[in-house]
Amino acid sequence: MTALLTLAIYSFLAGDNPVYKFAEHLLVGLSLGYSLVITVKSVLVPQAVSPLAQGDWPVLIPVILGGAMFLRFSPRLRGWSQIPLALVIGAGAGASIPAMLQARVLRQMGATISGSATLDGAVILVGVATTLSYFVFSREQTRLWGRGTLIGRYFMMVFFGATFAYTIMSRMALLIGRVEFLLGAWLGWL
Amino acid sequence: MLGRRVIFGVLGLAVLGVLCLRPHWRLSVSPSTQRVFDTIAALDSGAVVMISFDHEAASLPEVGPLGEAIVNHCLRRGVAVIGLALFSEGTAVGYELLAHRATALGRREGIDWLYLGYRPQYTAAILGMGENIREVFATDYAGRPIDATPLGHRVHNYSDVALVVSIADGSMATYWVEYAGVRYHARIVAALSAVMVTSYIPYLEAGQLAGLVAGFRGAAEYEQLLEQPGAGSRGMAAQTVAHALVAVLVVIGNIEAWSLRRRRRTVAGNHG
Amino acid sequence: MTASAAGIFMAAQYFLNLPAAQSLYRTLLGWMQVIFACALLVGILAVIRSHVVRLIGRPRERFYSLVLLGAIVIMSIAGFSGGIERGSTFLWLFDHAQAPMQATVFSLLAFYITSAAYRGFRARSGESTVLIAAALIVTIGRVPLGEWISPYVPAAAQWIVDVPGLAAKRAILIGIGLGMVTTALKVIAGVERTYLGGR
Repeated sequence: MTALLTLAIYSFLAGDNPVYKFAEHLLVGLSLGYSLVITVKSVLVPQAVSPLAQGDWPVLIPVILGGAMFLRFSPRLRGWSQIPLALVIGAGAGASIPAMLQARVLRQMGATISGSATLDGAVILVGVATTLSYFVFSREQTRLWGRGTLIGRYFMMVFFGATFAYTIMSRMALLIGRVEFLLGAWLGWL
Repeated sequence: MLGRRVIFGVLGLAVLGVLCLRPHWRLSVSPSTQRVFDTIAALDSGAVVMISFDHEAASLPEVGPLGEAIVNHCLRRGVAVIGLALFSEGTAVGYELLAHRATALGRREGIDWLYLGYRPQYTAAILGMGENIREVFATDYAGRPIDATPLGHRVHNYSDVALVVSIADGSMATYWVEYAGVRYHARIVAALSAVMVTSYIPYLEAGQLAGLVAGFRGAAEYEQLLEQPGAGSRGMAAQTVAHALVAVLVVIGNIEAWSLRRRRRTVAGNHG
Repeated sequence: MTASAAGIFMAAQYFLNLPAAQSLYRTLLGWMQVIFACALLVGILAVIRSHVVRLIGRPRERFYSLVLLGAIVIMSIAGFSGGIERGSTFLWLFDHAQAPMQATVFSLLAFYITSAAYRGFRARSGESTVLIAAALIVTIGRVPLGEWISPYVPAAAQWIVDVPGLAAKRAILIGIGLGMVTTALKVIAGVERTYLGGR
């Protein structure tokens, strides 16, 4: 069955066809069913249902808020579904401020400057500065600034080239894995 | 110009052919893979490693061998493993991998390993475990209270965890760094899909990651260090041929485009 | 206002060491899981609803919607009645149908990326030449072929990733980090409300 479903997906290489569409819809259905089961059994039961059953009444608050999410389906009451959404998004935004500033800005800037004593470190410093300058769109990219942004563009081209190479590596690994399954587990050739 | 289906056919046949031949090559181990290996090898027996399966089933052929190699290494060393998932599909993958390897190596559930399950809101989960793991996971994947197990009883938060390994095919490992690393100073190792490597190198170089191992190559190198060949090692030959094919096609494509441009210039010159 | 209050509290409590703040922080983290899980269920229900509409209203797409809804039902019955542990039908379906199909869909990209590389990677300018050169060196350098050609090839590939590639990515990270902080502040200030549906 697994091999047939795999070949059904690969039939897309010959063009969109009913066999592929069947497999695609089957996959989406299985994925949704899987997510439904895992979300209920692994999250809602231990975090909400079981505590409530044991008399932990404060859990009713997130349960009510979570229940309010379902009001999205009612045109009249959908406004109430925005409250729990705002809570989660707002809390996530607040938690992210110190985390992002520390991890993505300060530590990265610190590593760039502290490592600049070596030749590679100096190249990195130039690369970071010129690439950042490219994204300052409020300033015209001419003369010395323009040369800097051009250098930054070249650094980005190197990055995109390297990323493309790793993308090839990643996608080929997925193909190799599937072909190995077909040859080994299914046909028994390996 | 080569047709699309010709390219598909050549790629498929190349991969098929090399897999049938099954050559095995020794690889030079990269410093980053060696670093991850040494980090786990240096852990005391009885230390606790938290492994988070933060990937989808789609990337299983690539990150699966990585996860298997790391889980094997930890369990063989006598390091206790606590597994969890911040991706829905990673839940089943992680549970089955951990349960299967632990059973094969005779490790006891609740003592040598524990699987906590899935939490969808990763920010809340990562931050919450920094305060108290049982506030995020009161029960394990099977619904048993984690406090009822010796392993669950002795681990409260990241200060009781020697290392966090995030097996990821996207940005999840960066959230481990940004939330667990920044606030709770957890030690993080990333085991990644190859496509994410260039995105994580800055974190490795800045010392925010204790190590990074990625893709089929990373898995093959790790298996070589463990002296346990697996899917990573088996796939490297086909990977080599596939990469060579892509490189050759890019060069051929550019030669074709260049010669076409030259012909057009010659024709335009003749008419002019 | 909810977003502002939650956001200000979460940002401030990073610096506060008060027991009351810590307690509220931990409570809020627990609430977020339940609310988010319900949000996931809302998403799943929305897809089910759209396919039920198709089943009733669009005869030509009825079959595929039936397949999708049938798969949801089968997986749900397997999971809720048979459990989700080792040896369960639920995990069997995941291992033998869902996961392999997911992996196969993504493995299709290998074919398309090869075709795209052949057709689209053209050294028409200085920048594209640099991009292609970097891509070729890293492509060859990360497999044993690079070592066989010359030990300088994998060394060059590693240097490309560790120095210029790192520099560009670091700049992008810093920019994104600053952007995310700005967006977070706008969410907290109530200026950014697109997550509520554009109001």
